[in-house]
Amino acid sequence: MATLEDIAQAVVDGNAKKSKKLAQQLVDEGLPPLDIINQGLMGGMQEVGVQFKANVMFVPDVMAAAEAMAAGVEIVKPLIEAGDIQTLGTVYICTVKGDLHDIGKNLVVMMLEGAGFEVINAGVDVSPEKIVEDVRKYNPDIIGMSALLTTTMLHMKSTIELLQEEGLRDDVKVIIGGAPVSQDFADEIAADGYSPDAVAAADLCKRLVGAAA
Amino acid sequence: MIIIGEKINGFIPKTLEAIQNRDDDYIREIAKKQADAGATYIDVCAGVEPDQEYEAMEWLIDLVQEVTDTPLCLDSPDPQVIVDMMPRANTVGCLNSISMEKNKCEVILPAIAGTDWKVVALTCDDTGIPDDPETKFKIAQQIMEKADEFGVAHDNILFDPLVTTLGTNQESMVSFIKTMQMIKDAFPEVHITSGLSNISYGLPYRKAINMQFLSLCMYNGMDSAIMDPMSQDMLAAMYATEALMGEDPFCKGYLTAFRNKLFGVKR
Repeated sequence: MATLEDIAQAVVDGNAKKSKKLAQQLVDEGLPPLDIINQGLMGGMQEVGVQFKANVMFVPDVMAAAEAMAAGVEIVKPLIEAGDIQTLGTVYICTVKGDLHDIGKNLVVMMLEGAGFEVINAGVDVSPEKIVEDVRKYNPDIIGMSALLTTTMLHMKSTIELLQEEGLRDDVKVIIGGAPVSQDFADEIAADGYSPDAVAAADLCKRLVGAAA
Repeated sequence: MIIIGEKINGFIPKTLEAIQNRDDDYIREIAKKQADAGATYIDVCAGVEPDQEYEAMEWLIDLVQEVTDTPLCLDSPDPQVIVDMMPRANTVGCLNSISMEKNKCEVILPAIAGTDWKVVALTCDDTGIPDDPETKFKIAQQIMEKADEFGVAHDNILFDPLVTTLGTNQESMVSFIKTMQMIKDAFPEVHITSGLSNISYGLPYRKAINMQFLSLCMYNGMDSAIMDPMSQDMLAAMYATEALMGEDPFCKGYLTAFRNKLFGVKR
């Protein structure tokens, strides 16, 4: 008998093959698909977050775990009615105008998906105007903006200002991250949050949507 | 090896603090130390918001030139700032950087045409930093077309094929070396450099990765690095590699550096 702990451990180990196999076994054993995802696969990702914070696990570990989780989800997801999948909320994420550095942003995407968020990854070099347009289109709960340059981080400010002008600021939380960005800068531009790394970003989003981090 | 000393950069938190507090002594100290450690150029990047950049750059340039004759590497995301700072430099140096982004080539290349100024060229464009060697090489070709158009000598171009982080891409160095070789095959006179500490981002014990990356890339033709020359480990790796490659007769470079206490000293 496979258990939810086993599949969680397969995620922690970053073992995609095992995660896939265990997901199938758990399905065959009749476990509810939602439990397999929420407790098994995401449970594993949560443990990865804890170990990352403790400097026991590192970026490649996180990526392997995300892959293992995805392999399990792939098996289980078709068995779930679309409406039954509960997401914690929708996060729209991009690097800001003029900024092409997306490694950090992509890690945040992985951690958010692992935490149970629906993520709209808008890519790199996204202008304030485009963000506003997309907010109208997708109605996300949170916007995450990333910048690696001191010159481009100013577009975070102009995006928040544009959201304000367009009357959208109260509908959405805005969080920021990236090497030159800090909590001070987040406060200065009236963002709702700042995170120094991908794991903390997932915790931050959970707090902002009212789910326990 | 062409060493571009990277310490005076506002993207380094400690340096940014010194820039914001206008800490003259700290900047003088890291300028002098990098020069003493054998930096070919001393990179100067303010890393502050654009409206404060000119003043910060001028302050940094003047301080560095107070303590050393080592040429500067003028570094800004804004090509106009770079060009505007050139007259302030006492000696011909290096510019950091051009790429196929926006008008960077058009602003910077005419300013160095026919001079001995060098320029770092990044293999990225407005669509981003490509992952594959082929696309990076295509961008390098476009940059070289611009260089020829404006009349910049190939020898004055230092290509940085933009290494990705090993933590997120395990083909990172292999791909870097392949790109570098494609560039060198097509344009034998250009130099290859790397802001190499990026490779170890997000991993523990970074210096192990940085040192081996430096050695392996040097062996494959890299002849410059944007690095911290005050790091004994990195300098030792560099001198040792040059000696191991048979490019250091009687190990003179390695031994002189050792005698000058550039490495092997307990601090």
